[in-house]
Amino acid sequence: MLTVENLHKSFGGVNAINGIDLKFDAGTLTAIIGPNGAGKTSFFNLITGAFAPDQGRILFGTDDIAGLSSPDIVKRGIGRAFQIASIFPSLTVRETILGAVNAHRGWHTKLRRRFPLGEANAQADEVMELVGLTAKADKLSGNLSHGDQKLLDIALALALEPRVLLLDEPTAGMGPEERWQMIDTVHKLWQRKQMTLIFIEHDMDIVFKYAQTIRVLSYGAVLAEGKPDEIRNHPKVIEAYLGTAYEKGRG
Amino acid sequence: MDPQALLTCLSTASCVITQTTGGLISGMLLFLVAAGLSLIFGTLKVVNFMHGSLYMLGAYFAYTLYTATGNFTIAVVGAALGVGLFGLVFERLFMSRVYNTDVLMQLLVCYGFILILDDAVKIIWGAEFLSMGMPAAFQRPPIMIAGGILPVYYLFLIGVTLGVALLLGLLLTRTRAGKIVRAAAVNPTMTSALGINTALVFGGVFALGGLLAGLSGALAAPVRSMVAGMGFSILIESFIVTVIGGMGSIGGALVGALLIGLVRSFGTIGFPLFTEGVMFLFMTLVLITKPSGLFGKEH
Amino acid sequence: MRSTVWLDIVIAAAAMAVLLLLPLVFPGKAFSDFMIRLSAFAIFATSLNLLVGYTGLVSFGHGLFYGLGAYSFALMMQKLGTSIPVAFIATVGVSAAVATVVGAICIRLKEIYFSFLTLAFQMLLHSVIIAWTPLTGGDQGLTGGVPRPPFLGIRLDDPQHLYIFCSAVLVVSLYIMWHLVRSPFGYTMRMIRDNPRRAEFLGVRVWRVRLLAFVVAGVFGSIGGLLMSLFVSSAYPDFAYWTVSGEAVFMILMGGISVFFGPLVGAVMLLLLNDVVTRVTEHYSLMLGIIILCFALGLRKGLLGFVLWAWERRRAGAQ
Repeated sequence: MLTVENLHKSFGGVNAINGIDLKFDAGTLTAIIGPNGAGKTSFFNLITGAFAPDQGRILFGTDDIAGLSSPDIVKRGIGRAFQIASIFPSLTVRETILGAVNAHRGWHTKLRRRFPLGEANAQADEVMELVGLTAKADKLSGNLSHGDQKLLDIALALALEPRVLLLDEPTAGMGPEERWQMIDTVHKLWQRKQMTLIFIEHDMDIVFKYAQTIRVLSYGAVLAEGKPDEIRNHPKVIEAYLGTAYEKGRG
Repeated sequence: MDPQALLTCLSTASCVITQTTGGLISGMLLFLVAAGLSLIFGTLKVVNFMHGSLYMLGAYFAYTLYTATGNFTIAVVGAALGVGLFGLVFERLFMSRVYNTDVLMQLLVCYGFILILDDAVKIIWGAEFLSMGMPAAFQRPPIMIAGGILPVYYLFLIGVTLGVALLLGLLLTRTRAGKIVRAAAVNPTMTSALGINTALVFGGVFALGGLLAGLSGALAAPVRSMVAGMGFSILIESFIVTVIGGMGSIGGALVGALLIGLVRSFGTIGFPLFTEGVMFLFMTLVLITKPSGLFGKEH
Repeated sequence: MRSTVWLDIVIAAAAMAVLLLLPLVFPGKAFSDFMIRLSAFAIFATSLNLLVGYTGLVSFGHGLFYGLGAYSFALMMQKLGTSIPVAFIATVGVSAAVATVVGAICIRLKEIYFSFLTLAFQMLLHSVIIAWTPLTGGDQGLTGGVPRPPFLGIRLDDPQHLYIFCSAVLVVSLYIMWHLVRSPFGYTMRMIRDNPRRAEFLGVRVWRVRLLAFVVAGVFGSIGGLLMSLFVSSAYPDFAYWTVSGEAVFMILMGGISVFFGPLVGAVMLLLLNDVVTRVTEHYSLMLGIIILCFALGLRKGLLGFVLWAWERRRAGAQ
């Protein structure tokens, strides 16, 4: 579904991404882990066209999407949500999602037809239902709680009916209970929509419980990849990353 | 349009010299105003749209001080300090309240002050044109160079302005205060985290900007007639200068001001109706090709 | 949703009816003159708010289109002797073309630089008008009057007909813009104002939407100028001066930037203020300056914005 070959990117002489080769099969649920500064978010940025890679290919299906603009890449079916919820504060939840639905269907520059269009409305309802925001449909996005804003951010990506969904730390900044709720919602989404889901996560309990496969990044390169059990016992991973963070997470 | 007249002027040394000196002093006065505007933008990321009014205040302050004391030095220094103080008060009481709102609110506060000050000047000094007259020390025959006229006061004005430009450059690059100002321009939260009082820095920058504009107005008083609203055209021109030179760049302001001064001076001969047009043409071209200005840093 | 479209049409028709009846209550020429100026400024300010309030594009140079509309319409009427409807449509076309070119250049720039460049373009037009004396009459404005030949039984040289015409253009223009901000495009504009980067990751080509908004706003801005040139039967360089943009910005902020009818309310307020204050005191600037400061420092939501906000709060409190 998504294949990355020999990806390189440097910012002002610093190699953020230093030769990544990865393959994500259709319908899989993958976690990306790694210490801070490992290049996880940069990796997402390259895939979604926020920056063009210096070198390397990004194959979506069989097309090389490296260097395309973000709107072009999004339109092909790669959605993303952000570490810090990226929403539209002065629009209501429903308006926000309707806007995303319209963008997805190419209606976003229609001057004549009015909201709410029956079809768009139905899809927006479905998306709100999926993430559990139906009751807050008419609230201003900017007034939502932190967790709900993260959900809305994911809902925006879902409105695009993506085949690949990239979530950058869906549980960032949440309390323990909220985290499990969030990851549960994400997991259900993945099951219902049968898409390829890749998420960045720091909480190792969550990662080991939910991810089918794990990719470990360190210094802009792939340190290890495999099933949770393999990663748990991978000597390099323990040395570079788990040794500190995992213990801390437990303690 | 009169390209013929421009060519004739350019082919005679006397006309070139007269127009160049005229353009130079316009440019120098403009530089003082534009440098403050640029400094304020560079540090606070705020366009002080009432900067022209500070220039006007400087001229009127100088007029009053000069008629009261008869001493030109007191008039110039007093006017510059007075306007600097005014700038500080304006920043602390009004401008500082709209930093975190959008640019339109800043525009509005400045516009309100332009209107208020123009009317205040009319009430205090009257609506008629005022002229301060040339101070006695400079009432001597102009220097003639190849038939071109160079009044003594022009030399003085150019000297003072260049001195100020030099001092300003040294202040910003060599002193601790200057380094703080430049640091605050790059990252205001960082500087306040380092324990530097940003309110003091911002107020100080406004005071300095006001001082420069007031100095410009005071130096202009002997050679320009005064009227309420006189700050308008200098605001527009210094705005063009800062955009061309690069917002935040003092060197850029100097180059831009001289350029615009010369355009104005030679434009009145060659294209009197389109001098402003040429300035805006410059501004448009610079913004299109290098939005941060000829000497500005990209960010 | 169909029903709300009909409701809007009914409201627009009612507004038109009220405008037609008002001269019976206020029969004087002063009133109809006021309303004609109001229609020009309300359309102009509302069109600017499409950029400033809805798309987050802070244009300092919207007066470009006010001047362009006035001059292209007046010149077409004067020099080409076309009929009013033809000149009207041609003015819209010219403005759309100019807005496309100017907009494509300006929207590449970020934030304050966008504002500067729009201002520069406006002042360029102003300079051209001043300098191109043979065509424009320079700083004296167009002399000789704008001919207003009758069309379809409408005689715009008759003040009553002009009043009705301007009222109709006002209602139709506001109706179209209202419709626009409720359309999918209107939602996209607001999304871009709030968070352009996120909009990109939803597949929106942000520059296209901004350009389209710029063109639409330019077209309606020019219609404001057109009405003014019909009213004064001339066109003046001041129409393209930056103060025109400044007044429109002020109208928007007085009425309320976040409300569709804010600029309309602001236009009423500023024009009334003009008339009243100049009658009461000779210190017009002083008064206006103080009022401006009050809005900038105290009433940032604008009058209509504040009223709606207070009403919402009361309703929320009652529940």
